[in-house]
Amino acid sequence: MKTRFLVLFSLLNVVKKELSQTLRDRRMLSTLLIAPVLQLVVFGYAIDLDVDRIPTVVCDQDGTPRSRELTEAFFADRTFLRWGDVRESNAAQDALEAGGVAAAIIVPRGFALRVARSDAPEVQIIIDGTDPTRAQVASNAASQFLLLRGIGEDSRMESAVTITSLAPHVMYNQRLKTAIYMLPGVLATLLLNVTALITAMGLARERESGTLEQILVTPIRPAVLLGGKCLPYVMFGLVDVLAILLLGNLIFDVPFRGSFAVIALGSFLYLFSTLGMGIFIATVSSSQQQAMLGTFGFILPAMLLSGFMSPISSMPPWLRPFTMLIPMRHYVEIMRGCLLKGADVGDLAQQMIALALLGVGILAISVARFRKQLA
Amino acid sequence: MRRFLRRTTAVAHKEVLHIIRDSRAVYLALGLPVVMLMLFGYGISQDVDHVPLAVADLDRTPASRHLGEALVAGGDFVREADLASPDDAEAAFRSGRVKAVLVVPRGYGRELARGVSTRAQLLVDGSDGTTAAIAMGDAAGILQAASLGRSAVASLSQGPRIRVRFNPAMRSTYNMVSGVIVLILAMVASLLASLTIAREWERGSMEQLFATPVGRVEILLGKLVPYAGLGFVQTLLVITLGSYMFDVPIRGSLVTLFGASLLFLLAMLGTGLLASVIAKSQLVAVQFAMLLSYMPVAMLSGFMFPIENMPGWLQAISMAVPGRYYLTALRGVLLKGNDLAVVAGDLVALAVFSVALLSLAVWRFRRRLA
Repeated sequence: MKTRFLVLFSLLNVVKKELSQTLRDRRMLSTLLIAPVLQLVVFGYAIDLDVDRIPTVVCDQDGTPRSRELTEAFFADRTFLRWGDVRESNAAQDALEAGGVAAAIIVPRGFALRVARSDAPEVQIIIDGTDPTRAQVASNAASQFLLLRGIGEDSRMESAVTITSLAPHVMYNQRLKTAIYMLPGVLATLLLNVTALITAMGLARERESGTLEQILVTPIRPAVLLGGKCLPYVMFGLVDVLAILLLGNLIFDVPFRGSFAVIALGSFLYLFSTLGMGIFIATVSSSQQQAMLGTFGFILPAMLLSGFMSPISSMPPWLRPFTMLIPMRHYVEIMRGCLLKGADVGDLAQQMIALALLGVGILAISVARFRKQLA
Repeated sequence: MRRFLRRTTAVAHKEVLHIIRDSRAVYLALGLPVVMLMLFGYGISQDVDHVPLAVADLDRTPASRHLGEALVAGGDFVREADLASPDDAEAAFRSGRVKAVLVVPRGYGRELARGVSTRAQLLVDGSDGTTAAIAMGDAAGILQAASLGRSAVASLSQGPRIRVRFNPAMRSTYNMVSGVIVLILAMVASLLASLTIAREWERGSMEQLFATPVGRVEILLGKLVPYAGLGFVQTLLVITLGSYMFDVPIRGSLVTLFGASLLFLLAMLGTGLLASVIAKSQLVAVQFAMLLSYMPVAMLSGFMFPIENMPGWLQAISMAVPGRYYLTALRGVLLKGNDLAVVAGDLVALAVFSVALLSLAVWRFRRRLA
């Protein structure tokens, strides 16, 4: 009983030391609390992958009422935005090269004539492929437009064919807002930064300045030392989660359909693995510089493989199993499921278990390494 | 002038020794871009394909089966599950197993046989807006093409009337490689530079440096040069690997390319030094550098998120992000073969930023000492 009390006491002391060290440096406190909020706001507004208003130049060489009607219809659903008009198709090409516009629609001379004669009319649409997502959406929209207008089709075919049309129905995020989808990923990245980077560099600093040995001669055990060093950042991390969810809801209308318990459990399990990662990196680096680079060497691939920015289903098959080893993947899935779809623990059992296994595993390995190094 | 050069070289020499002694950091700094490039090149793809699909076939006729098969034939969709009823869609979405559900209504085959136009329904998990939008477009195109009796692939995007320029296959790799170069340079240059001055403060060796006749400008410049060299090696590495492994074309001139890279490097090193001068501890300096250089470059340069979609005030802020100009210049030179005249504006902007940031760092450095 008494030893347990002592452990708790020394844990509190380490927490106090770590807190006073952190809070003493105002700049540190502001980066811990203000930076995530700032990032969320900028991120939230910046992330708009919804492709619309693609700047488009019009080259109407026909200049008839019919061709004008066509170009106006092209811009009707706001996927494309009329940026300007040019006379020559060369000028349209130049505009594409300079990068001011991302698409061009060229209506050749004789368009109206061919329509009137029910010849297959010709229209050309050129799309800048440097941004593939935008190009994909643009070419889908353009081909649908042309298909609907029967351009490039043999007009005699049209009437004889029965068409299966598709009635799309979008669930959970009817307006297809990207910010809503991205928020969980932003959250996961920020937590990784607050916990892993700071733990790794903080421990490396203690080693650099030799204070680790000093603490070692006190009766504090290594595990208690680690726990005490991590706890303040777990608290900062959870405060950040709350702040970001609140702001996300207020500013970006990110829904909160699931239960708070799921989010709390998921965040807690996730922090286990990020802290473990931080400690692990600290045990393999001998300077803060190495700890910093090592953490980024982990954070960046984790971000890419988590499915936070690009869908996992688009990755090659051999790579997909590796993403199961990335804690961030599971956390992002939990947060998305809970916030957007109202999933409960049962729905997310697989992700929770994976996160728990990874967290305990990483933490156990790194604490063992840390102990061995100090011994 | 000669003294100035000698002192700067001395500081640079000292910094090079620091870098060499911490050789693991160098390996990390050079290995990280390669890993990123591999991941972006082989793994990460913004192209939406293999969308996991479930089929709820209520009709169970050859025609309805054909419809389901047509949808997965092109590789845009992968059939992950079959559902007995559309009511199961909700659960499948919630666990994240599928992202789209095709519902073929009862009587579909009969109506098709009678020559009536029919309707199938596609439920889409809209939480990932981009994937959902592209998947819906793809599905509509496939079904239209299938019912017009033509091959789905031909009609989809590369119909004869629609031409995609500069990157005809719409491969995201091209975009990625230029993005990775910008991101990696921004990150490694600014983060590494942010540690340099702060380290001297932390270890107390700054006082020793001040006791020597070396001035502030010489210290900052001397610290900057080795990292500029390291960054340049990274640029070379990423561009070489990108063009060899992923066939990223280099259509413009190499001189323009490296000129732009050097200017961008200086701007990022300036940001890092500024963070270092303000922070005084390595941990805080890294956070500052991330906030000042890496985050803006990642979010506002137009690499991942198109600038024209941002609200006006954010577009205005993005004008102050050097990465934006570098990315435009880089994409222009690599993919479009733009020459110096086209990218001159971007280069001037980069030069202004690097001079401004470096002078700001020197100025703050002086104030700290007084």
